[in-house]
Formats: sequence, C-alpha cells, structure tokens
Amino acid sequence: MNQEIKKITILPGVDKLGKEENFEKIEIKKGEVVAIVGPTGAGKTQLLYDIEKIAQKDTRSKREILVNDKIPDKEWRFNPKRKLIASLAQSMNFLTDMSVENFLKLHLGARGKRTRQGLIKEVIKEANEITGEAISPEMNLLNLSGGQSRALMVSDVANISISPIILIDEIENAGIRKEKAIEILVEENKIVLIVTHDPSLALSANKRIIIKNGGIVKVLNTALKEKGIAHYLNWIEGYSLDIREKIRQGKEIKNIEIYCEPIKSKKLT
Amino acid sequence: MKFVIFAGTPGSGKTSIIKYIINELKDNFKLFFTKFDCLHTSDDEFISRKYKIPASKKLAGELCPDHYTALEIPKLIKENQDKDIIILETAGLCLRCSPYIKEGLGINVLDITSGNPERYGPILTQADIVAISKGDLISQAEREIFRANVLKVNPKAKIVEVNGLTGEGAIDIAEYIKLCSDIGKEKLHLKHSMPSAVCGYCYGNRIINEKEVHQRYLAGKELKKIVPNLNCGKCGFKSCNEFIRAVLDKKAKKEECPFIKQIKKK
Repeated sequence: MNQEIKKITILPGVDKLGKEENFEKIEIKKGEVVAIVGPTGAGKTQLLYDIEKIAQKDTRSKREILVNDKIPDKEWRFNPKRKLIASLAQSMNFLTDMSVENFLKLHLGARGKRTRQGLIKEVIKEANEITGEAISPEMNLLNLSGGQSRALMVSDVANISISPIILIDEIENAGIRKEKAIEILVEENKIVLIVTHDPSLALSANKRIIIKNGGIVKVLNTALKEKGIAHYLNWIEGYSLDIREKIRQGKEIKNIEIYCEPIKSKKLT
Repeated sequence: MKFVIFAGTPGSGKTSIIKYIINELKDNFKLFFTKFDCLHTSDDEFISRKYKIPASKKLAGELCPDHYTALEIPKLIKENQDKDIIILETAGLCLRCSPYIKEGLGINVLDITSGNPERYGPILTQADIVAISKGDLISQAEREIFRANVLKVNPKAKIVEVNGLTGEGAIDIAEYIKLCSDIGKEKLHLKHSMPSAVCGYCYGNRIINEKEVHQRYLAGKELKKIVPNLNCGKCGFKSCNEFIRAVLDKKAKKEECPFIKQIKKK
C-alpha cells in the first residue's frame, strides 16, 4: 500500500460511437500538470473516472490505465479507505462551523496522521500566499471569503490529503493567485489534472488533452510560446488582484504598471 | 433473484442515483422497481415510462414505513418470480429503523451535507454500501472527514461517492449489485429489529394523557385479538392495525372486517 505513484499511463479505448482513439499512450508523471479541455458533455468526467478507477478495459470507454508502467494491484482499486483522486470542485464555501486550526486538526485526524503544530502553520502560510486576504488560525471557516476558502482548500489538499492525484474543476474566478496555487500542488509532487476553459490555466499546464465525443482526439505539449502567453495572462490577473487588494485597503490607484517580469526558467526534473 | 434495498432520508438523492443504476442494469437483467413512501410519490411511473421496466409504488400512510416494507416484501417476491433483480427504494424515516434484509443488499444513500454520521442509527450502520451524495457541494477536506466518520460507525461499509446529477458512482453500485448473492428460497431476515410499537398512540390516540392512552391501548388490544392479523386488505385498509385505528376513531365499523363478521354470525 505504500507503493508510490510515480507515473500513470493512459492506453486508448473507444469514443461514444465506438471508434478507436487515435493515440498510442499518454504518460503523466508526478509533478506534472495536465489540462483537460473540450465542450461540455464531451466526456471529460469519463476520463477522470477511468483514472480514478484505474480502468482495465472494464469501463464504458474501454481505456486501460497503468500505474508505474504496470497493471496495478487490486488493492489500489477496491480499498474503500483510499481514494486515488482528491478533488477541488467548484464549491467555494465550507459547511463546517469551526475555527481554521481545529478544522485542519480534524482533517489530519481523519487521515490518521498525528497533529503537528508546524504542519498546520505551513498549510495556513501557503494558503496566504495564494490569497490576498490573510487567513489566521482562529478565524471561523464559515466567515472566510470565497478567495480565502478556495486558497485554504488548495493548501489543505496539497499538504494534508494523501491522494496522489489532484483534480481541479474550474478554478477560475475564485479571486486567488492560480499560478501560485498550481505551483504549491506541483511542489508536493502531486499529479494535477485541471478541467478548465480558462486560457491561462490551460496554457500553464505541461500538456493538454482535448476531448470530443467521449474520445481523446489530441494531446498537445504546451509550446514554449504558449507558456509565455500563459505567463503574461497570469501576470495580468495577478496584477488585477493586487489592485483589488489596494482598493480594499482604501488606497488610491494612480498609475498602471506595464512591466511583466519575464518567465523564470524552472529546473527540469 | 437479487433483492436490493435503497434507504435514505428524503432529498438525499436516492431516486436520482437509482435512475442511473437502472440504466446500467436494464439491458442485461430483468428488473422490477418499487418505491415505498409515506404519502405521495410518482417516481414509479416516471421510471417505468423512461426505462421501460415494471414498477410499483406502496404508500405506508398511517403505518410505520419500515414495518410496512417488511410486511410487503414477501408479496413482492411472490409476484416477481420471473425477475433477476428487485430494486426497492424506501424513505427509512426515523433513523432508528433499518429496512435492510440480511440476504439482500442494503444501500444507504447519505447526503453529505446532513451532518455528523454518528447521528444515524441502523439505516447507516447496517448498510452494506454507503452511497455518499452531494459531495460536490463541499470541500475535499470535509469529504475526507465525512468518509472517516462513516467508517467509524460502519467499518465494513463499502463507500461509493455518488452524484445524482452526473451519475457518478452508478457504475460502481451496479457492479456491487451484480456481485451480490441471490436471496434463495430460505426465510429472509431483517438485519435489525423494528422499534417496539405497543402503546395507545399506536392505535391512533391523540390526547396526551396517561389514562387516555392506556384506555385506547386496552380497547385496541381487544380488537387486535379478534382481527385476523393477516393484513389481507379485504376491509379496505392496508393493515389490521390501520383498521383498528379507524374503528376506534369511529371511522369504520367492526363488521367491515369479514373475519369479525363471520365470528359474529356463528
């Protein structure tokens, strides 16, 4: 059970009309971000389902999923206590009436991990890097803003959830620094799948899978130019968030910044 | 024949997810769907029309819905000998009850926004499968906490996260249904006893008073001795208890029960 997921491989199945998918295999390594794009009802959910169930040609799509290049143990598929995919759905609010700190302790408890003061601080610290409005441990979950809730959810999934694969469903319009959010998830060596229509997110991914009619029709590796465009889009959004914060703090906005720092080269893994 | 019972509080999403499950199973199995409710339902007509499978509804009315379900199960089995799977949906209402039978498959559809799972009794703790619905409304952290809490009260449960809107989880439950064993010819057993129902209030008393309720109980007991307790329905009521209540409320006459009539004639 301690077996680590280093890589998942998707082998082709068939689309809704029974036509075979036209690709050899898709490999997703840990620490990679993959965007899944396509019109509503195209079959994005089916792909996620196949991955979650580690399909062995036994789902509707007849796809096959390999873990670390092998057919995985049944344990991975049927153990009720584990879930391969943790998801950040569109929900923007918590329902639990509790302080941030106690809630994180409760979540750690549910995971069977020992509470470590340091870890909870780290979760909150990282959440604060994603949102502009600082979260403190004694705040009540119900009083957090949409952006704060979202930031805390991201940081919690990155640090506390043991699921190795994170699915993000439409993170846009959340009032958070998306680029930072994805960075935190990737740092924790998760495989990140993003279902999105948001251009900056889709182009930030390492690759994107295009789905049509229930089948994967194309896999694109993000081109260097596209990465640059994504970086620029993210900068604009981040800048707009900065202004938003300044306005909230009662400051006057006198001039507009036009300089976007060039893309930082990242270490190749 | 397999016997599958879905139970859960109203609005938890039972019918929505059952629709997807029926869709998964209908091509390979002969299905029968029956819905137990208290006062009103038209889900049976909808399912019958949409998926072209036979369906029925049973309204418990004045009876405890779980008692009523247990009373009706043998009839359902008898009438549907040619079917592969009977799917029974019930609003197991008081949480104290458990409508599940040992020989069949018991599935609790549990709304994730409904609070701490420890509040639920046998409806959750005795279920073979716990289908957690509406997970998309809350955060991943809360989902994981909820899951852990469900396993605390029902460690053997197989947990499936379902979504009544998208059909997520329906394939998993359909798989579990295919794997569950047939009910066979032996006697069926309830997984959990029903709550006791032995006071004057059970015979329809509405005045809150010790004496009144005791008197109603005695009067009810007398009638209980002479009715056949077969729930044959010839008097126009679903069960003998309902008939007794009606007699005590002066809404029906003793003689309307054909058995009592025979006794009198003799």
